[in-house]
Amino acid sequence: MIDLNIKGSSYDNNLILAMQASCYGWKHINFSYNHNEYEEALSFKNDLKDNLKDFIDIDYTLNIKSNNPSEIRKIIRRYRNKSSCISVLGGNLKVNRNCLENIQVDVLSKPYFKRYDSGLNHVLAKEAKENNVAIEIVFSDVLKSYLAYRSKILANFREVYRLYRKYEFPLILSSGAESVFDLRTVQDFKAVFAQTGLSDLDVENSFKTAANILEFNNDRKNMILSGVRVVS
Amino acid sequence: MKLKVLPKSQRIHNHYLVLDIKSEKELSKKEFTSIVWDGCVRFQGENNTSNFNLWTIELIEDDKYSFYNEYKAILRCQRDFEDEVRSSLALVNNYDRKHISITCIGISGTIKGCSKFI
Repeated sequence: MIDLNIKGSSYDNNLILAMQASCYGWKHINFSYNHNEYEEALSFKNDLKDNLKDFIDIDYTLNIKSNNPSEIRKIIRRYRNKSSCISVLGGNLKVNRNCLENIQVDVLSKPYFKRYDSGLNHVLAKEAKENNVAIEIVFSDVLKSYLAYRSKILANFREVYRLYRKYEFPLILSSGAESVFDLRTVQDFKAVFAQTGLSDLDVENSFKTAANILEFNNDRKNMILSGVRVVS
Repeated sequence: MKLKVLPKSQRIHNHYLVLDIKSEKELSKKEFTSIVWDGCVRFQGENNTSNFNLWTIELIEDDKYSFYNEYKAILRCQRDFEDEVRSSLALVNNYDRKHISITCIGISGTIKGCSKFI
């Protein structure tokens, strides 16, 4: 039960969110910060971890929001060793393509953001599979929309699911919560995605994918080349 | 004249959801019921919602002090439709322009069984 995208803010707010998430059955959460806030957030990361060690595991995700692919590449190079997960906000087709071709990116978040389609096609789906870049679908997009706009987002989700079933790229589901009002229990979270067309197995696999990303990045220091790792 | 009660085998089987509610606004049982119906009709449509057999059994105010009002509720729904109801309620975001969150913390086959979640 891993959530890689809960919007991080101050120390106190993070504490409240983490405690609530732990009550609702989550085992690990990642607070996401953009590159301007990330350094400051790192200063209280250890305190937060120590305070919450009996309840829930926490970590940070770097969330990059930019429409300039070369700027994104620069930010990734700067923060790759400092963060357990790097996600890039999609929506722009150039950004979507560049992220999915970049092996250093872990997650492409919301490829459908501010678009009338899912932002993915068969070419991008193949790239995601080849470079092991996960596509992230965010629960709060459905939660905070209503009527026609919500239907369109659900239609975009279904398009992503269709490509996921065909090309089997890594897919992760996250809450994108900003406050306690956006958090739900794990069972509710699963039920919503099951209703939108994902099977129970797909939902379980998405949690496993998130765990694999964290595990892979913890081991990144020991990687010499892709596929070659120092064992002892 | 009252209708005779159906034999046990003919009755609809119900399950009871225990809900955790956080709201910026104070809620009455009537308001809560309308939120539940509105949420279900919006997400599942009128036709599907007619299967759910929804009924608010109880709304209990929590004593915990925080910046929002906290409640626990017991909601009846028809067996085999629990996932539909809980997903509809999970997608309720605001009521009367105030934040609200409804999440299901337990399911039981009897009202008595709900007590262990509250």
